[in-house]
Amino acid sequence: MTRFDRWLANSGAILLGLLWILPLLYAIWTAVHPAEYEARFVLDAPLTLDNFAKAWAAAPFARYFLNTFTLVTAILIGQFVLCTLAAYAFARYRFAGRDVLFALVLLQLLVMPDILIVENYKMIRTLGLVDTITAIALPYIASGFGVFLLRQTFMTVPQELDDAARIEGAGTLAILWRVYVPLAKPTYLAYGLVSVSHHWNNFLWPLIVTNSVETRPVTVGLSVFSTTDSGIEWSVINAATLMTSGPLLIAFLLFQRQFVQSFMRAGIK
Amino acid sequence: MLAKLIKGAAASATLALASALPAQAVDLQFYFPVAVGGGAAETIEALTNEYTADHPGVNIDAVYAGSYQDTITKVITAARGGNAPQLSVALAVDMFTLIDEDLILPFDDFIKTDEDRAWLNSFYPAFMENSQTGGKTYGIPFQRSTPVLYWNKAAFAEAGLDPETPPATWEEMVEMGKKLTKKDANGNVTQWGVRIPSSGFPYWLFQGLTTENDVILANADGNKTNFDDPKVVEALEYMVSLSKDHGVMEPGIVEWGATPKAFFEGQAAMMWTTTGNLTNVRKNAPFDFGVGMLPANKRRGAPTGGGNFYLFKGTSDEQLSQAVDFIKWITAPEQSAKWTMATGYVAPRPATWETETMKQYAKDFPPALIARDQLEFAVAELSTYQNQRITQIFNDALAAAITGQKDAATALAEAQAKADAILADYR
Repeated sequence: MTRFDRWLANSGAILLGLLWILPLLYAIWTAVHPAEYEARFVLDAPLTLDNFAKAWAAAPFARYFLNTFTLVTAILIGQFVLCTLAAYAFARYRFAGRDVLFALVLLQLLVMPDILIVENYKMIRTLGLVDTITAIALPYIASGFGVFLLRQTFMTVPQELDDAARIEGAGTLAILWRVYVPLAKPTYLAYGLVSVSHHWNNFLWPLIVTNSVETRPVTVGLSVFSTTDSGIEWSVINAATLMTSGPLLIAFLLFQRQFVQSFMRAGIK
Repeated sequence: MLAKLIKGAAASATLALASALPAQAVDLQFYFPVAVGGGAAETIEALTNEYTADHPGVNIDAVYAGSYQDTITKVITAARGGNAPQLSVALAVDMFTLIDEDLILPFDDFIKTDEDRAWLNSFYPAFMENSQTGGKTYGIPFQRSTPVLYWNKAAFAEAGLDPETPPATWEEMVEMGKKLTKKDANGNVTQWGVRIPSSGFPYWLFQGLTTENDVILANADGNKTNFDDPKVVEALEYMVSLSKDHGVMEPGIVEWGATPKAFFEGQAAMMWTTTGNLTNVRKNAPFDFGVGMLPANKRRGAPTGGGNFYLFKGTSDEQLSQAVDFIKWITAPEQSAKWTMATGYVAPRPATWETETMKQYAKDFPPALIARDQLEFAVAELSTYQNQRITQIFNDALAAAITGQKDAATALAEAQAKADAILADYR
C-alpha cells in the first residue's frame, strides 16, 4: 500500500465516521440544551438535564427497561439453546429429509416477519399468551439465521477433534458442549449482539401483542413522543432516544474490541 | 334461636352483597392512539378511571396503541386473531377500510330511545361527514381537528401590515406574503411569507385549498374521486405558484414536523397547520401570534381531521351496549371539555362549548374559538375505500407537482386514472 493509498483510506474512514456520528452528536446537543437551542449552535448555550427528566416522566420507563432486559435475555438464551442443538444435528448427523428440512430453515430467512403478524397473533391467542413477555419472545426463538450461522461454524470444526473426544469416552452432548461450543464462541458473541440489538429495537410486534405496562418494552414507551398532531419536541425526543439506546451504546463501547474481532472471525459483516 | 339468627345474618349478608355487586361484571377493552404531546394518555386513563368509579361492575382496560398507524394495525390484527377490543379510537378516514374488513358495527343498532337519537344528532355536521355512510353511523367524533392559519403579529407590524388582520383571500395571502418575505444582503431568504407543509400527508392541507376552490375530492360513498377536476388543478397550480411565481414560500417539499419550529424562529411569518398545535404555539412562540381561518377563494373552507370512536364486532351485546354508554359519557360536555383543554382538539359538540369551563377557557384564550367557527365551512377529510392506497397515489401526484417533476394537470390526471382503477370494484 503506498502512502497515498493509506492517506485516502484514512480520510475516507474519518469521513464515514463523521457522517455516522453526526446524528448522535446532534441528539446529544439537543438533549442537554433547552428547546430554544435546537437549531442554534452557540457555545454558551445553557446546559440542562430537564429534557431527560421530562422524557423519564412521560412513560413508566423503569418498568419498561426491566421488561426489555428480561425480553432480550429470554430470547437470547432460547435462541442459543435451540439453535445450537439444531445446528449440531444439521452439521454432523445424516438423517432422512435433512436437506429438505435445512432448506425450510433457510426459507425462514426470506420471509419478512411482519407478514406473519396475524398468524402469529392467532397462535399466541390459542396458547392463551396474549399480553405476556413470552408472547413477544416466542416467534423469534427458533431463528433460521442462528441455525444457519452455527451450522456453518460447526462444519468448520475438524472431524478429528470430534473423533478424539469420542475415543476419550465423551457422549454426544458432552462433545457438543466441550468441543463445538467453545470453538464457536466468536459466532455466539456476534450472533448475540445482532439478536440483542434487534430485539432491543423491535417495536411493532411487541406493541400488537401486549397491552399493559407490565409487559411492554422501552420502544413502546418511546413512541409516546411521536406527536405528529402537535409538533415534535426534538429536545425531549432526543433525550428519550439517548436514554433508551444508552445501555446498548455503553455495552458496545465496553466490549468493542471483542465484538469487532468476533465479526471478523464469524464472517458477518 | 341460634340457627334462626345465623340464617337471618346470612340472608342479610347475601342481600348486602347482591346490592353491592351488580349481576355480573362487564369487561371492556379500549384501544387509543396518541398523536399530541402533554400527557394525552394520562388524561384518557384519568377519564376512564372516573367512569369506572361511577359505574361499579364495569372494568375498562384502556390500552395505549401507539400512533394512528400503529393503532389501526394493532386493532386489525387483534380483530382478525379473534380478540377484537370492544371499542377503539382510530382515524375517521379509516372508516371505509374497517367496513371493508367487516370489523365494525354501526352505532344505529344501539340507538333506541329518543335521547339516544338526540345524542347522535348533537355533533357538528362537519365531523359527522367522515363518520356516516349509507345512512348509518360508524364513528363518533372524539379527537378531531381542523387546519387553521397562524400568523406572527410582530412580523406583520414590521412589514407595515395590520398585525390584527390575517389574509382573507388567496390574493391577499400572496400580497401579504410578498411584504413579509425578507432577504439578507446575499439574496438568501431569511423569512418566508407563508409555510404550507407538504411532507408526509400533503393531501390534508391541500384539501384546504381545494375546498376553498369549491370542489370536493371524494364522494360520500367513498368510491369515486375527483382528482382531475379543473378546480383541483387550479388549487394545485396556486400552491405551486406560491414558491415558483411569487416566491413567498420555501420551494420543494416543506416538512410538517419542523413547521412550528420554523414559525417560532421567524423563518416563516404565517403557517398553515392543525389546531392540535394551539397549545404548543401558545407555550413556545416568543412573540404575539394570531390564529385565523384559512383564507378563502371561491368560498371559505377546510378539511376536518383526527380520530373517531369505533365499535368492534365479535363480543356480546351487553359489552357493546356498555361500550356505547361509555362513549356517550366521554363525549358528554363536561368530559369533552376536559379532553379539549388538555389536548387542543376541537370539542365535537356545540353543547361542550356552552359549559362554564369551556366559556372560561375561550375567554382566556379566544383563538380556541377560531377552529370551532371554521367548522361551519369545513368538509369531510379525503376518505375512500382502500384509503391508504388512494391517498398515497394522491400524495405522490402532489409531490410530483410541488417538486416540479410534472405539471399539475398531468400529475392529477394520472392520479385520477390510478384511483379509478382501484375504486371501480367498489361501485
